[in-house]
Amino acid sequence: MHRTVPSLPLAPSMKVKLINAGFQVASDLTDMRPLQLCKEAGISQEEAVEVLQVLRDDGQPHQQRAATESLTALDLLHQEQALGSIVTFCSALDDALGGGVPVGKTTEICGSPGVGKTQLCMQLAVDVQIPVCFGGLGGKALYIDTEGSFLVQRVADMAEAAVQHCTLLAEDTEQRQALEELTVEKILSNLFLVRCHDYVELLAEVYLLPDFLSEHPEVRLVVIDSIAFPFRHDFEDLSQRTRLLNGLAQQLIQLATQHSLAVVLTNQMTTRVSNGQSKLVPALGESWGHAATQRLILHWEGLRRLASLYKSPSQMEATIQYQITVQGFRDAPDEPRTTPDSSAVSSPSGNHSKRPRMEDLS
Amino acid sequence: LKYTEVEFASCLMSFYCSANFRSAREILCVSGPDLQRLTRLSKTDVQRLHCAVAAAVRKSKPVTALQLIRGECPVLEAGNRLSFSCRILDGLMRGGLPLRGITELAGEITGAFCLQLCLSVQYPQENGGLNSGAVYICTEDSFPIKRLRQLIALQPRLRPDLPPALIHSQRFSDNIYIEHAVDLEALQACVSQRVPVLLKRGLVRLLVVDSVAALFRSEFQADEAVQRSRHLLAFSNTLHRLSHEYGAPVVCVNQVTDVVDGPNPGRCDYGLVGSKVLPALGIAWANQVMVRLMLKRQVQSDSRSSAPRKLEVVFAPHLPRASCLCGVWEEGVRGIPDDHSDLQPQGSS
Repeated sequence: MHRTVPSLPLAPSMKVKLINAGFQVASDLTDMRPLQLCKEAGISQEEAVEVLQVLRDDGQPHQQRAATESLTALDLLHQEQALGSIVTFCSALDDALGGGVPVGKTTEICGSPGVGKTQLCMQLAVDVQIPVCFGGLGGKALYIDTEGSFLVQRVADMAEAAVQHCTLLAEDTEQRQALEELTVEKILSNLFLVRCHDYVELLAEVYLLPDFLSEHPEVRLVVIDSIAFPFRHDFEDLSQRTRLLNGLAQQLIQLATQHSLAVVLTNQMTTRVSNGQSKLVPALGESWGHAATQRLILHWEGLRRLASLYKSPSQMEATIQYQITVQGFRDAPDEPRTTPDSSAVSSPSGNHSKRPRMEDLS
Repeated sequence: LKYTEVEFASCLMSFYCSANFRSAREILCVSGPDLQRLTRLSKTDVQRLHCAVAAAVRKSKPVTALQLIRGECPVLEAGNRLSFSCRILDGLMRGGLPLRGITELAGEITGAFCLQLCLSVQYPQENGGLNSGAVYICTEDSFPIKRLRQLIALQPRLRPDLPPALIHSQRFSDNIYIEHAVDLEALQACVSQRVPVLLKRGLVRLLVVDSVAALFRSEFQADEAVQRSRHLLAFSNTLHRLSHEYGAPVVCVNQVTDVVDGPNPGRCDYGLVGSKVLPALGIAWANQVMVRLMLKRQVQSDSRSSAPRKLEVVFAPHLPRASCLCGVWEEGVRGIPDDHSDLQPQGSS
């Protein structure tokens, strides 16, 4: 990297001081300590630190991007596909999402109370840990709970069901070996929980995320359940709320791309009246609608639970049906065809999907 | 006077950290670039300042779900629940009421449940209680003191699993604090001033609000939905904070509204298809509730207090949609096992 000092993004007066001190190219500065630079160039301590920071930022912050090379769209596509996605165990939803909840993006899940947002989040926190040989990511999860609705008993049930599911699928020795390590205890030990009681604690937690992620580089999923709860009271100044939410969204998408994570946020619904008619819409305002990369809205239609994918850069809008069973988030039971099976309708655990769940199954 | 980089940063950090919480909030609410501009610190120093303040604000570091299930973090997950004093009802709830969060009871015979919980909470933890008392806030009718006395006298019949000596040694009436709130202001004052004192002293670990709907529905007109939401949110936020801080279950009784039209896209039915009634106060309140339970009549025409009711879990993060039959006897509320649905409760309400 041969950038000359005049081409660096610094104040002109700063550049003059550096050039007068004898620094011609950026590489002259890279090995300098702030104190040294301060003395040699006659600038203040803070300014020296600033210069070095600018130099670092100007370098190669992302592992994938070289400073002088550019990427083709095909390269980007390959990179995106290589990042992978987290399955939901509802094949209809996974298909609609193009494989699952994508890594490297933020996904927002909206819905009324009780429709299954927390259930889906808990399911993802378990599913992210599915070993790579089963088609999963083999990663860990961080669950940021703002409502207090994370009850570990339920996660343990889902973990148990996931282990059983994998046990049924295991075919070759590699999978069987991976299964030996995949216990409920292991899954629970790879799921980190933080509880935030108000928006300040949530802001703090997001500032501390980079440090946490450096300590735990295997984390592939960060859930915030919900982002709406702490922001829907206590705000006299709605413009400040919008500013904070936008800032959060930016920080989260940055973390998602830099650390190869999937970030999942849940949002509540609120009533909006327009033209005398009332409708249920996602909370947090219009501008928040643009914050996440993808938006999924869970809603009731009579007895059925439906998930609608709105606003995705890569997938079509779609609506699929799902259900919540004892095992967790699953496909809805198939409609009875020739032989109506009344027990299937009333039993809590519906049919599992008929399509193979993982790609390597024939 | 020149500081070294480290001295300067730590001096600034200790200044901000020793200041009160309000300052920390202000720092965290200002973005990096804005903070750079205001404090004239460099980018790295601002990042370090944000991290230091964030670390000071954070109550506890992330824990694993394994630690939670092993009971190593009682503040986050207590592991025990508040029993209903009935094996069948506890079975429906996988142990009883969660210790943190708002549980809503909507529909009929809710008073009977609340009184029973006020007694159940006073037993030791190994008997399903929390070894503490209860606060009962009445907003509608006066407190049913006669019925409470009857329930206390008949506790041995409801809890044959407990040694009679244990039951007789409990001073039930002394540990139930009754409050009356005539309007919203009084209600908010009660939960933000008097209730925290009782919680802090360990005198109570159950809070009952009977009912939450009455005052909110009466004090706001139909077109004042926004103001009503704001007050509801402030009220529920207070309850939520207290519940989490003291590990005290909060039970809110709600009224039900009749469903006159069919499915309405502007109203969430929570999958309760065909139900003639829905809990009141709309989605604004429902968003604050963690566990929603409904009590409905089995047969529409049978409104006798002694007729069996259906207790249904509408939603809860750890429970499936399920229901059981229950009835009110002289000694209290009991669940009716499925094979005994012909059992007729004989008690008063």
